[in-house]
Amino acid sequence: MIGRTPPWILPLVGLIALVWIVPIVGLVVTSLRPISEVILGWWSLDEFTLTLDAWIVVWDKYPLAYAFWISCKIAIISTVIPMLLAPAAAYAFHFLKFRFRRLLLILIINAFVLPNQVVIIPLFRLWRDLGMIDNIWSVIIPFAGLSFAWAVFLVKNYLEDFPTELIEAAQIDACGPLARFFYIVLPNALTPIAAVGILQFMWTWNGLLLPVVFLRDELPLPALLARIQGVYDRNWDQVAVAAIITTIVPLIVFVVFQRFFTAGAQTRTGGKE
Amino acid sequence: MALAADIQGGPSGPPSDRPRTVGRRQLSDTQAAWLLLAPLLIFFGVSVVFPVIETIRLSFYDIRGLAPARFDGWGNYSTLFSDPNFLRSLRVTLVWAISATVFSVAIGWGLAMLCALDPRRTLVFRIMIFAAYGVSEAVSGFMWLGIYRPDYGLLNGILEGVGLSGLTQPWLGNPSTALGAVIVAYVWTQVGLPLMTCFASIQSIPKNLFEAAYIDGAKPASVMRHIIAPLSMPGVRVAIFINLLNSLKAFDLIFMLTGGGPVRSTETVGFFMYRESMLNFKLGYGAASTVILLIAVLVVSIPLILKRTADAR
Repeated sequence: MIGRTPPWILPLVGLIALVWIVPIVGLVVTSLRPISEVILGWWSLDEFTLTLDAWIVVWDKYPLAYAFWISCKIAIISTVIPMLLAPAAAYAFHFLKFRFRRLLLILIINAFVLPNQVVIIPLFRLWRDLGMIDNIWSVIIPFAGLSFAWAVFLVKNYLEDFPTELIEAAQIDACGPLARFFYIVLPNALTPIAAVGILQFMWTWNGLLLPVVFLRDELPLPALLARIQGVYDRNWDQVAVAAIITTIVPLIVFVVFQRFFTAGAQTRTGGKE
Repeated sequence: MALAADIQGGPSGPPSDRPRTVGRRQLSDTQAAWLLLAPLLIFFGVSVVFPVIETIRLSFYDIRGLAPARFDGWGNYSTLFSDPNFLRSLRVTLVWAISATVFSVAIGWGLAMLCALDPRRTLVFRIMIFAAYGVSEAVSGFMWLGIYRPDYGLLNGILEGVGLSGLTQPWLGNPSTALGAVIVAYVWTQVGLPLMTCFASIQSIPKNLFEAAYIDGAKPASVMRHIIAPLSMPGVRVAIFINLLNSLKAFDLIFMLTGGGPVRSTETVGFFMYRESMLNFKLGYGAASTVILLIAVLVVSIPLILKRTADAR
């Protein structure tokens, strides 16, 4: 509470927020009304019927369930990989001494600036030569690889406040470098690891560019949505259902864990939490 | 799982097995470090180091589809800078990045300052606005298609409703409005982030500053101008960088809304490279445009890179 609050603040911000979610409301309403009404505009009130028809037929119309499964596989595997490897790397960079340590660290944490576009042409050629086009690993590998820039940074930032006494005590007890990681650091670094998992899950679930380029039939939800809205232009109610299904999982994750996203965004650019 | 063998000598073994001196077989720091880093380095090599080097290499080759690559020197680059489509995509990217960043950050910052005056009761509103940032861009694209549709789109519907039917038009089909329309949709998705980072900055301003100001008789407007605005700059800076970087790479929303059209009026460099390499199969040419994009992104992020490099201990 900063001083006295002028009375117009709440209604003004509330109005803006309401306008802000109009597109989302429109999507939900579109999915619940018959196409004959939607075609006149989802907000039209000449007739108003609510129906779950689109929600029922859409599953036979488009391979939504399959795309949901593909999305789960891609997002979960591409999330677990950095959750395992980023803490290991952050530990090595922070607590161990080895040649090229600083050089490697600088390389990795600065790779966050790279746009996804940079992997497209080289990996497209590589996957084509290896016969990996339309294999979900063609997307998972770059998703994981591109995540390390911010994931290592995020975990290493956290380790900077890690009590070195714990490490030293373990060392005196003849704990080797690997055991110090698995028994001391890893169990105490679950917060940044969870943050890495949540952020990466959202970004990989929502990713469109890499699936569009590397996948043909094994399409995750956003890529499927892009395809069907181009082909079946007229079934707005059913495409709306597909759109809701595409975004419902990440949206829930997002709203529940929203504070991680502010923190994550800042580590992506180098501000410290 | 090979790691398990090395750990056995550690604290998990029975106490009697644990000699005080480091006698058991134990990895040195260096060995352990490389062991822990190796899997990450493989991923990183395949999806960062190799693509960057390869993109730069391929940008000097003439590659069309499956035909063998032919070394072409600076050919791709000189073609790029005489290609009106590429020059337009540079202009579109500039307009896109600057206006998207300015509008997102200005709106987000403004909202953050308003919300900071009553943090508790505006929580729901903040989440509502932030939620747009959590919607997949593919889905946002579909929503905004519904708003911009020439027949029964929401925007034209509103314009007709308020008696401005003269202004109705195919917003995404008209080359002079398409870019603006896509930018508005993009700003809608992005505002949540500056709102949150700026809000966090304002929240971390020490409360006694406000008390002192009010005791000295400062009005809310001058508190806003002299305390809140300058002290929320860290959040604003973060937001500007994220928005600039994201908008330079933007692809998803353009892909959903216009596919770069009409007449390539919404084609950014990030989309140009997709069209040239994946739709026109000119991989070398696409690579050259990627290199330009890469240079733009690097230039924008120089301050961040310097800071990260200096902080990397």
